[in-house]
Amino acid sequence: MPAGGGWAAMFPDEVWEHVFSFLAADGDRNAVSLVCRGWYHIERRSRRRIFVGNCYAIAPTVAVRRFPNVRVVSIKGKPHFADFNLVPSDWGGHADAWVAAMAEGWPLLEELHLKRMVVTDECLELLARSFKNFRVLALSFCEGVSTAGLAAIAANCRNLRELDLQETVVEENCVHWLSHFPESSTSLVNLSIASLEEDVNIAVLEHLVSRCTNLKTLKLNYAVPLDRLVNLLCRAPQLANLGTGRFTAEYRPELFSKLESAFASCKSMKSLSGICEAVPEYLPAIYPICDGLTSLNLCDAPVNGASLTKLVSRCKNLQRLWVMDVIEDDGLAAVASSCKLLQELRVFPCDPYGADPVSLTEHGLVTVSTGCPMLQSVLYFCRQMTNDALFAVARSSPNLTCFRLCIIDPHTPDYVTLEPLDAGFSAIVESCKDLRRLSVSGLLTNNVFRSIGASADCLEMLSIAFAGDSDAGLHYILSGCKSLRKLEIRDCPFGDKALLANAAKLETMRSLWMSSCFVSLGACRLLAQKMPLLNVEVMDEKKRGGSWDSQPDDCLVEKLYVYRTVAGQRSDTPPCVWTV
Amino acid sequence: MSESDMAIIKPEAMKSYIWLQCADGSIQQVEEEVAMFCPMICREILQTAMGSSKNYAISLPQRVNPAILSLVLDYCRFHQVPGRSNKERKSFDEKFIRIDTKRLCELTSAADSLQLKPLVDLTSRALARMIEGKTPEEIRETFHLPDDLTEEEKLEPLKNANDDLRIRLLNRLYAKKRKELKERQKQKDVEVEAQRKDERSVDEILSFINGDGDSRTAKAAKNKKKNRRRKEQPKYSSRTESDKLPKKEVSTVCVVRNEAGIGYSPSPSRISEMQDSAEDAFAPKVDFEDVDIDDGLDPAMKEELDREVEDFARRLNSDWPERMQEILSLSQESRAVPDFMNGNVSLRRYTGLDGR
Repeated sequence: MPAGGGWAAMFPDEVWEHVFSFLAADGDRNAVSLVCRGWYHIERRSRRRIFVGNCYAIAPTVAVRRFPNVRVVSIKGKPHFADFNLVPSDWGGHADAWVAAMAEGWPLLEELHLKRMVVTDECLELLARSFKNFRVLALSFCEGVSTAGLAAIAANCRNLRELDLQETVVEENCVHWLSHFPESSTSLVNLSIASLEEDVNIAVLEHLVSRCTNLKTLKLNYAVPLDRLVNLLCRAPQLANLGTGRFTAEYRPELFSKLESAFASCKSMKSLSGICEAVPEYLPAIYPICDGLTSLNLCDAPVNGASLTKLVSRCKNLQRLWVMDVIEDDGLAAVASSCKLLQELRVFPCDPYGADPVSLTEHGLVTVSTGCPMLQSVLYFCRQMTNDALFAVARSSPNLTCFRLCIIDPHTPDYVTLEPLDAGFSAIVESCKDLRRLSVSGLLTNNVFRSIGASADCLEMLSIAFAGDSDAGLHYILSGCKSLRKLEIRDCPFGDKALLANAAKLETMRSLWMSSCFVSLGACRLLAQKMPLLNVEVMDEKKRGGSWDSQPDDCLVEKLYVYRTVAGQRSDTPPCVWTV
Repeated sequence: MSESDMAIIKPEAMKSYIWLQCADGSIQQVEEEVAMFCPMICREILQTAMGSSKNYAISLPQRVNPAILSLVLDYCRFHQVPGRSNKERKSFDEKFIRIDTKRLCELTSAADSLQLKPLVDLTSRALARMIEGKTPEEIRETFHLPDDLTEEEKLEPLKNANDDLRIRLLNRLYAKKRKELKERQKQKDVEVEAQRKDERSVDEILSFINGDGDSRTAKAAKNKKKNRRRKEQPKYSSRTESDKLPKKEVSTVCVVRNEAGIGYSPSPSRISEMQDSAEDAFAPKVDFEDVDIDDGLDPAMKEELDREVEDFARRLNSDWPERMQEILSLSQESRAVPDFMNGNVSLRRYTGLDGR
C-alpha cells in the first residue's frame, strides 16, 4: 500500500523500507518516523535494532508493540553512579518485565544487550526457551544471575554466538555450567567470563574451545592458570581478542617458552586484557603479538613501570590503552613516542587511598596529548593538575570527544598557582568542539560552568563532583549545553532554584542525578507537579521513618534521580525510593 | 518503405532490437543486449518471446514513463559492457544519480518495478543520503510529503508508542496548551521591551541566587565542611576501579570497598550540620510561589497551564469509565478529535484497554 501522498505514492512501502535500511544512525530513523504517518508505519515495521537508554522510559509492552520486528535490543538500567555505590542496591533496573514482553512479542529476537540491570535466572531460562534464533547475550555490569541461569542458556540456545559477562556479578552455584554446552555446539564466537570468581572446569573449557573453530574472543577468569592458558591458545590460534586468566607463576623456562610460542602462533591477535597479577618475568612472552595489538588492557597488572613501559613500547599500532598509574610519567612518555595511533587512554589508580606515592602527574597526560595526534578519549586519574597542563591538552588534542579527569582528592587546586582549575577546563571545552563526554574535578567555581554552558554544544554527558559555588553553576549548565542528555552531580552546592528554573530542560534530557546537594523535597514536589512527563525519584536509605508524604517541604533530599518517561510511575520502587 | 518491410529487413541487420511499450502507449526500441540487462525484460523475452517487433512490444509496468525509461536504458547500456573497471562503473554511477529529487524518486520507482537491483540499490543509497542528518521538517520539504501526524504524535518518537489513553490525552492537552501559549507569547515578544524583560528576569534570578552578603557566610560554612571532608576517602570508590587490585589482597579490597562505600554518606550528625549550613546559605527562605521561575512563559499563563494540568490530572485520577465520556466530549472541541477517532490506533484498542 503506497505511503502518504505526493511523491511517496510513487512506489511501494518496501522500496522506502529499503532506503531506510541504509540509514545507520538511530537519530535518522527517529526523524523518518516523524515525517508523515505513512513513513511512521514503514519505519516502525522495518526497525531491526532499538536502544533503550533508560529501562523505565517506556513500558516494555509498548516498545515491543510499536516495533514488532526487532532483532537486536540494548537496554540500560541503573544510573551510572551505581558504579560508585551511590545508588541504593535495591533501586531497581529489573529485566524481568522486559524479557517477559520480548518473549511474547519478539520470538525472532537474536541479540540482547543489558547494562546495569538486575537479571534473574528465571529471565535467562525464559530467554533460553523463547527465542529459537538467539545468538548474542551480553550482560555488562549486571547482577542477580547465577551459573544455573548460564547453564540454561548454554544448554538451550542452539546457535549461541556470544556470551559476554563483562563485569557482571554471577553467583556461582553450578560448578559445571560449562558442561551444559552440548557436544554439537560449535557456534561460539565470543566467550567472556572474566567476572566469574570461582574455578571453571578447564578440561571442559578446552574441549569447548577446540570445537568452536570460529571463536574469536575468549576472556578467561582469574581461575585459569598460566599453564592451562598455553593449552587454550594452542587450540585457538585464530583468536583475535584474548583475556588471560592469572598471569603469575613461578618462573620456569620451559613454561615461558611454551607461552611465548603459543602467543607467536596467534597471528590474528588484536586485543589483549586480563594479565592479572602479572609477574615481570612472564611479560616478555607477550612480545610476539605486540606489533599487531590495537587494544591493550593492563588494569589488572600492577607491575612496575619499567616492565610495563617495555611492553607498551613494542605496541606500535595500539589504538586503545587502559593501564594503571604505576606506569608513571616515564611510561606515558614512552607511550607518546611509540604509540602514534593511540585514540583512547585510560589511566586508573592502583592504590587510590594509599600512602605509596606514584610518580604519575599532569606531565604524563600532556606528553600523551602532545605526542598522539589521534587522541580522542581520555580517562585520567591523578593527584595533581595545573591549568597550564590543561591548556596544553586543549591545544594539542582539539579532537577530543571524551575527557574525564579525576583528581583524586576533592577541591584540589592548581598546585602551582593555587587557583581553581576553571581556566583549564574552560580551555578544553572551548577548543574541543566535538566533546561529547566530560568529567570535571579539582577546585572549581561557577565560572567553569559558565564556560561549559556556553561552549560545550556537543556535550551529551557531564559528571560533576565537589564543584561550584552556588545554584548559578547548575543554572549555567542547564540553560546552556544544547545537546546535554545525562547530567550526574554529587556533593555540589546546587539546589532548588536552578532546578526549577530549568524544569523544561529536563524533559529534553535522558536523566539527571543529584546526590548530597541542596535540593529540598518541596522543590521535588513542585517539579513533579509541573512536569508530568518526568519521574522524580527521591531516595534515602536511612528511611527517616514514616512515609514520604508526611515529610515537610524543606527537608533535604539526599539522592534525586529525574528522568523523562512515557511509562508513568514505575511500580517496582523499593521502600527507600519514592516517586514524587 | 513501409514499416512491415522494415520488420522483414531487420533480421539481416547487425544489431537486433527489442521493442518496449510504456503505460502511456508510447513505444521505444532499444538494442537487445541493453534490454536484456534488465531482469524483468529478459524474462519477458525468454518466456513469452515478446518484444521482437513493434506490434508485440513488451509492456512495461506503470511506474516506468518514457523519460525515465531512457535513463534506465542509459544505465543498462553502460553497465552491460563487460570490460569496464570498477572505478569506471563507480564514477559513472556517481554522475548518474546527480539528478533532481523528483527524477531520482521516479528512477527508484522504475528500477524497483523493473527489478533492476543494482540500480535500486544505487538510487536507494542516494535517497538515504538525502535523508541523513535532516529534521523531519526538512525531509518533508525535500520529498513533498504530507504533514499528517497530529501534534501529540509528533512528540519525540518513542512517545508516540504510548498507548495509555490517559497519558496520550494529557500529552495532547499539554502540547496544545503549550502551543497556544507560545503563540500568544510570540505576539507579545515582537516588542523589544518584551525581549529585554526576559533577559532581565534571568539576571534577576542570578543575582537572587548569588545573593550579596549571604554568599560569603555561606561559603565560609561550606569551606569548613569541605576541609573536614578532604580528610576522607576520595570520591571514586567504584567496584570496577578499585577491583583492579591484585586478587591476593582480597581482604583489603573488601575493606576498601566498604570504607569507600560509606565514605561519603554523611552520618546523622552531619545531616543536621548540612541542613544548618543549607539554611544559612539560603537564609531568605525560598517561597516557591514568589520566585520568578523562568522557562520562557509568562507566569500568569503558566499558572493557567498548571491549573489546567492539575484539573486534568485530578479528573483522570477518578473513576475511569465516566471520565472517558467526559474526555471524549471535551476533545470534540479541539481539532484533535478526528485524528483521535480515526488515528493510527483503532478505537477497538481503547475499549480493550481495561483488559490490559
